Amino acid sequence: MPVVNERFEPLIVAFCCNWCSYAGADLAGISRMSYASNVRIIRVPCSSRVNPGFIIRAFQRGADGVLVAGCHPGDCHYHSGNFFTRRRLTVLKQMIEYLGIEPQRFQVRWISGSEGAKFAMVMNSVAEEIRLLGPNRKLRDVR
Amino acid sequence: MAAVIGWRKKDFWWQSPVVFLEDPAAAHRLVWDPFTVYSPVKFLLEWQASCAAKVGIFVKGCDSRGINRLLQDKRLERERVVVYGVPCGGKADAEKIRASFPAKGIKDVTLLGEQLVLTVGDREVRVAAEAYLLDKCLTCRHPNPVVYDKLLWEEVLPRQRADESRFARVQAVASLATEERFFYWQRQFERCIRCFACRNTCPACNCRVCIFDQAEPRWLGKANDPADTLNYHIIRAFHVAGRCFECGECERICPAGVPLQELNRKLIKDINEAYGDYEAGLDATDQPPLGTYRGEDPAGFDES
Amino acid sequence: MKRIGVFICWCGSNIAGTVDIDKVAAAAGTMNGVVYVDQNKYTCSEIGQAMIKDAIKEYKLDRVVIAACSPRMHENTFRKTVESAGLNPYYLEIANIREQCSWVHKDKEAGTAKAISLIRTAVAKAAMNEALFAVEMPITRRALVIGGGIAGIQAALDIADTGFEVDLVEREPSLGGRMAQLDKTFPTLDCSACILTPKMVDVAQHEKIRLFTYAEVEKVEGYLGNFTVTIRHRARSVDLQKCTGCGECLAKCPAKVASEFEEGLVQRRAIYTPFPQAVPNKPAIDRAHCRFFTTGKCKVCQKVCPADAIDYEMEDRLLTNGYGAIVVATGFDTHKLNDYGEYAYGKHPDVLTSLEFERLLNASGPTGGKILRPSDGKAPKTVAFIQCVGSRDKAKGNSYCAKICCMYTAKHAILLSEKVPGSKAFVFYIDVRTAGKDYEEFYTRAYEECGASYIKGNVSKVFPEGEKLLVRGVDVLSGALVELLVDMVVLAVSVDARADAKELAKKLAVTVNEHKFFTEAHPKLRPVDTQTAGIFLAGVCQGPKDIPETVAQASAAAVKVAAIFSKQSLLSNPTVAEVEQKLCSGDMSCMAVCPYGAISEQVVEERRGREMVTRKIARVNVALCQGCGACTVACRPGAINLKGFTNQQILAEVDAICL
Repeated sequence: MPVVNERFEPLIVAFCCNWCSYAGADLAGISRMSYASNVRIIRVPCSSRVNPGFIIRAFQRGADGVLVAGCHPGDCHYHSGNFFTRRRLTVLKQMIEYLGIEPQRFQVRWISGSEGAKFAMVMNSVAEEIRLLGPNRKLRDVR
Repeated sequence: MAAVIGWRKKDFWWQSPVVFLEDPAAAHRLVWDPFTVYSPVKFLLEWQASCAAKVGIFVKGCDSRGINRLLQDKRLERERVVVYGVPCGGKADAEKIRASFPAKGIKDVTLLGEQLVLTVGDREVRVAAEAYLLDKCLTCRHPNPVVYDKLLWEEVLPRQRADESRFARVQAVASLATEERFFYWQRQFERCIRCFACRNTCPACNCRVCIFDQAEPRWLGKANDPADTLNYHIIRAFHVAGRCFECGECERICPAGVPLQELNRKLIKDINEAYGDYEAGLDATDQPPLGTYRGEDPAGFDES
Repeated sequence: MKRIGVFICWCGSNIAGTVDIDKVAAAAGTMNGVVYVDQNKYTCSEIGQAMIKDAIKEYKLDRVVIAACSPRMHENTFRKTVESAGLNPYYLEIANIREQCSWVHKDKEAGTAKAISLIRTAVAKAAMNEALFAVEMPITRRALVIGGGIAGIQAALDIADTGFEVDLVEREPSLGGRMAQLDKTFPTLDCSACILTPKMVDVAQHEKIRLFTYAEVEKVEGYLGNFTVTIRHRARSVDLQKCTGCGECLAKCPAKVASEFEEGLVQRRAIYTPFPQAVPNKPAIDRAHCRFFTTGKCKVCQKVCPADAIDYEMEDRLLTNGYGAIVVATGFDTHKLNDYGEYAYGKHPDVLTSLEFERLLNASGPTGGKILRPSDGKAPKTVAFIQCVGSRDKAKGNSYCAKICCMYTAKHAILLSEKVPGSKAFVFYIDVRTAGKDYEEFYTRAYEECGASYIKGNVSKVFPEGEKLLVRGVDVLSGALVELLVDMVVLAVSVDARADAKELAKKLAVTVNEHKFFTEAHPKLRPVDTQTAGIFLAGVCQGPKDIPETVAQASAAAVKVAAIFSKQSLLSNPTVAEVEQKLCSGDMSCMAVCPYGAISEQVVEERRGREMVTRKIARVNVALCQGCGACTVACRPGAINLKGFTNQQILAEVDAICL
């Protein structure tokens, strides 16, 4: 019998800021926009609350992709949080890419509370990109 | 001044560790030779925590930026320290010397201008110093102390090729394909024994309680898992991002030879390119780049 | 070990339709710390809430997880529920299995698996939830209203009438705004000035209102109940105390410039009051055009002023006041017609915008209320009105409907027929929208009684034809090409958000939508609130609306403000940052990233060996902290943590979500 490969279903952890991206996710829901069920959201007050330690931890525990989503620059509910996010996560992202991690594994996007469609689209595209990459083996705990 | 922090000679020619001297009569034990490479600045933390008196400290160019590091991090009371600046022409790499000379015969090594003078047996050998200096000293951009109360002697000229060689190794690694880069780093990190020497020696790693030492929450697993090792190196590098002043002690002191400067300098390069040139440790009063922002900053991700 | 209860909501079929509730409940029962699992058709109903309360008591639950709709929906509802059962409200955690699961995943198996995962995550977090308590904060019982149009005027009057102090800031030299420019108002045709002017006077005379004209908001700090606002009082160059408003200066000033109030149809002087009924009815010097300020010579106004009120030395003053709440009522700009060259606006004097036409109608306008062609001063016998100029036009203008144009165009057609006997109005439209009390009747009157011809279709071009204008368009109902020779063309220009709305939004830390209208907290249920507590919206700055809606929204905003001021004190947000002394190195990285200035240094005494020593660490002002958590990441040792979103909680969530 031929071996049928089951389709790889990646696990994607999305840290969403409460005011924009989490609201955008809610709007996608209210508008019944279907998107990949691989995405699991952790609500944070602001993207600037996302510690790189959380991101690395998610990868260690087996997440195949991590997304941080926040308000568009200038629209931060807390004035300036996402400006810090932008610098911090640019540095983090470029570093882990330099360490040989595929750029798609860790993504940062700005999604506003009115961008339900964008939220759904981003989730689908991230899920698809990670699906093509296959499972995260590089950052995952082996023990 | 209740004590001075400097360097002394130990049993072997390549050993010049840091020393605390409290007795003025013992001042003759202080040395300045090609091996006074250890950074003395982090010892100031312990001194200031436990003793109200003033302390003197001898600093090379790199060490002086460590002083600024501690000042910017509000970990040092400047008025309780007397800083003796020592312009430095670079420190010698004992490994490089051993590779060229029979180690047993070497009795003494001194640096005279651009020449290294070795006493091998009863013979004196003079060689061009550059070939025997530590790699980190060859890329040193600030050999003269940037903060001091007294300068011991005249300033030296920075090495000419320091600027161009600064990011050479970073560029070499960055030019590899993603998978090659991963395997390159995997080969580096698999040697890491997580002794934390890189952190312990680093003046930028000056937290009272390091995040890696905390049990609740436990940010870093205790088991010897490659993923935890990677976690450690990513977070360590992130914590010194915009704060590392390139003394290179982390890499030099690493018993496993992990090229930590290639990681630190990658972050420095990225920050400079995205958020403007910034050199840590030159000014103790400004704000490191990750502690500030500009509205029009670029991002390393899709901002659409 | 915690005793966690999990309550799974069906939300009718909203959740139960795509999530296998029984399977989810069975899985929840096996999760760490879970001692009780229940399900309910509508957890938010009274019965549903009662079940939670009963279960908390009966099973001695100390943490509660509700798997239902978004926490943005009912978190507060359920916090009250658990609180009434004797638990701290922050022992509650919500798993969002509706908006982020059942509504977006059609596959039942995948939806069920995800619901289980979301609940496991909420359970893991709930196990680490700690009791949090709000602190009482004082309230500054003075409101700031930004904008002195009808929205700001109404809001200020209503707040002041409840007995609270109000400061009203208007950047023009007078109150009035757009409504002051209008002639008549639909659908009653009462005179705009007649109903507005008394309110302007009321504002000026109200003992609870301080009016700051020629002033702008410079900086906003603080939070609900305790805003600190710096207002720039622009140098008016006229001392309002001394000026009697006699008007001598207005007549003698030699510098002329297009009048903004008259939409550029006539000129005003450099020293000016925008319109005759201005409040305050005292002039300001427009320094950009004043001959003295531009050339250094003139001072005519000072010479003629009998009250010695002219002060060229006057400087902008920055004054800072405390406010408990802010109403934003900054109005709108009319759409710029740069991209509508086909209508010949700006090329032919008889092509007017609707607001310019409004000025022609107005008795105090440039023509004394007579409709006359700017080109030759003759009354137009035929006028073409083109609707939706810049509205409903994704390609060149605004995608949205400006809402008021259909009605004011009907008004213009009616007034044209009254003012120019024997005249004829042609109205080109896409759709005529007349939703509103008595609006449809008003529109009917325009074409039945006043003879306006409504042509469904677009106008492709307007060009001069002798003394007249040729309007070429299509009647889409008949499919015929229409060419009309008319005496005047009126363009129903769209409504834009203020050009500088985004700058103000940044100062206020509120958001704008893609069209730069301020965003309300909820499009249906909180249309007057912004996402920033204590800041409210009134009028067109939130989106196009007519006068009755604007007034209603302004009154609503006023009630919101009064409701805040009526409280004894406000409760702070308990999810604030907190410093753990033993971990804090005192490097103050946290302070650098705090947008609220909520972090400062403090000296603490602590034990070291056998002695007590002092050192500096960070301290959080819980009244100022808004709970963003930016500090927590700046802090390398994790010494500053965010209550309700602690490092421990989020790491537990990460661990659970990846299982």
